[in-house]
Amino acid sequence: MKTKIPDFVKTNQFGLLLLVIVFILLFTFTTDGFSSRFNIYALSRVVAIDIMIGLAMMVVILTGGLNLSLGALGVSAAMFGGWCMESMGIPISISIVLILLFGSFLGWINGYVTVKTGVHSFIVTLATMSIYFGFMTLLTEAEAFRKLPETFTDFGSMKLFNKYISPLLLLSIFTCFVLFYLFKFTDIGRKLIAAGANPDAAELSGISVNRMFIYCHMLSGFLAAVAGIMLTSRIGAAIPSMAGHLGFDWLLPAFLAPVIGGTLLSGGKVTVFGTMLGAVLVTLINNGLYLIDVGEFWVRFFLGLILLFAVLLDRAREYFTSKNSIVS
Amino acid sequence: MSNLLKKDWFGLGLVIILGSILISFFKPAFISPFNLYVLMLSVSLMLVVAMSQMIIIAIGQMNLSVGAIGGLVAISFTGLMEVYDLSILSAMFIGLGIGIICGFINGYITVKTGISAFIITLATLYIFKGMNLGITEAQPFYEIPESVKYFGNAKIFGPIPFLIIIPVIITFLMWVLMNRTSLGRYMLAYGNNVQSSELMGISSTKIVVYAHIISGLLAAIGGMLVVCRLQLGTPNIGDSWLLPSFAAPVIGGAILAGGKVDVIATAFGVILVAIISQTLVIFKIDPFFVQIFLGFMILIAVFINRYREYREDRRNKVFSNE
Repeated sequence: MKTKIPDFVKTNQFGLLLLVIVFILLFTFTTDGFSSRFNIYALSRVVAIDIMIGLAMMVVILTGGLNLSLGALGVSAAMFGGWCMESMGIPISISIVLILLFGSFLGWINGYVTVKTGVHSFIVTLATMSIYFGFMTLLTEAEAFRKLPETFTDFGSMKLFNKYISPLLLLSIFTCFVLFYLFKFTDIGRKLIAAGANPDAAELSGISVNRMFIYCHMLSGFLAAVAGIMLTSRIGAAIPSMAGHLGFDWLLPAFLAPVIGGTLLSGGKVTVFGTMLGAVLVTLINNGLYLIDVGEFWVRFFLGLILLFAVLLDRAREYFTSKNSIVS
Repeated sequence: MSNLLKKDWFGLGLVIILGSILISFFKPAFISPFNLYVLMLSVSLMLVVAMSQMIIIAIGQMNLSVGAIGGLVAISFTGLMEVYDLSILSAMFIGLGIGIICGFINGYITVKTGISAFIITLATLYIFKGMNLGITEAQPFYEIPESVKYFGNAKIFGPIPFLIIIPVIITFLMWVLMNRTSLGRYMLAYGNNVQSSELMGISSTKIVVYAHIISGLLAAIGGMLVVCRLQLGTPNIGDSWLLPSFAAPVIGGAILAGGKVDVIATAFGVILVAIISQTLVIFKIDPFFVQIFLGFMILIAVFINRYREYREDRRNKVFSNE
């Protein structure tokens, strides 16, 4: 009698996908220019970076922690890259490797201090946020690097697929697949999840939880550095204020994407594609809010409301699914 | 004496006194009346902000929206007086009311949904800040009544600003609340262990909502004090509160997991941060160093707290073996 509902329909990702489609249809029919080539291209450049930022936060949320220093770290890495390429004249490929190493190193500091003090990563990254950002501003004297190699900046303004999509988006999607593979099919990925889900049990089964947590922070630093490189390439310059004061402009997308995507804040669960869809949804809504002209200043207000609704919905979903499972 | 040494505030007090003597030895300008006045002004403001965060730390949560509440109240306070010609007193009460409502929203949603306060207050941070920017369109209010300006500038005597009265009273009330009332004890019990405090019959809803209301109220007072001092209501009031609001309680030995805060040590933490920031200015060190310094101070404080916990644990073990 009962028709069986496929499992994926019940997942958070499916709901998100529906929401994304609904919003795309809504904005396509209610606003002018949403589906224009220009707007879609602009969206793809923005969403690419939001996905990367979301992933960078997601891998730390996995440990049950957070990384407030994400924006400061990303900008510091980007400025370091600008210095490598412009002032030192280091070739692009070597510069990128150096930037990624630098980002991972800053992430390692976060992880090391968190693990060694046993203090919540919130307070540690709050401190490192101001340290990284302070040093960055001090060393760069708040000056931007604007004469970057053209091959580097051209990548950010390249247009693919009949000029609809930026290659930055492909890079982000590729990263999603790599992370998905890492967490799903590799030994180390499973250890990372086990350490986040239940540190005590993981420790007893021979996993070095501390080392796993440090790895997560390093991965977060690495991804934040990638986001920094992408943003630099998109803007065509490395600017100290490109993520706002202390890198705070990155924090809302950083939390929105994984939380909307269904990542548990208590740790132990990652949803790579949920995070991706979450970032897409946030960028869509952000873009739509500008197009329906709510006024630049109210966009923040609505994004805050959306975050609130997202977590409340998630809560409601959890509540109903747990109720259903008891009944059956 | 050994009891005194164990107090969180004792070491801090010692550092403050010795540090001040040392600094004024190298730079006599440090104890000039003007410098002391500036120092006390910044202590006054940050004291309120730190208390606003401290009470949330006490229940084991965090409030990212402290600055956003302060900013929203600041522009409401000035906007009501400038645009709607309200009297200072009614504008002030509406401002306090907004702080209470914002705090209530934070607390109520947090406790009713069970979602971490971090994410709720991150959302409300953007909501309050968005309202602030939506209302002001990022333009400041300049028309402040003379009496408000006077209040922000006046001195009691010597270098002591009139403004410091309110923060001192608040600090005293907070000390009474945390140390002498059952509500304060309940908050600490809740912060220490939510389950056991509920088993004791303490209502979680009441505790969390009260703590957030007090936090919102204090953030509102902080916002209005900044208006008095700046003599205008700019939308970016509160933007830079986050780091110092956590720095002072943590330097004062608060445990972020909840259950342990010290009002006097937090106040000393505020003074220490203010002295260091001021000293860096006197020595003409780049203002960005202040930020780096603040970050390092939090890390150092975290390490020291950790070490003391470790030592205490070891001492307890020795006793239990006997």
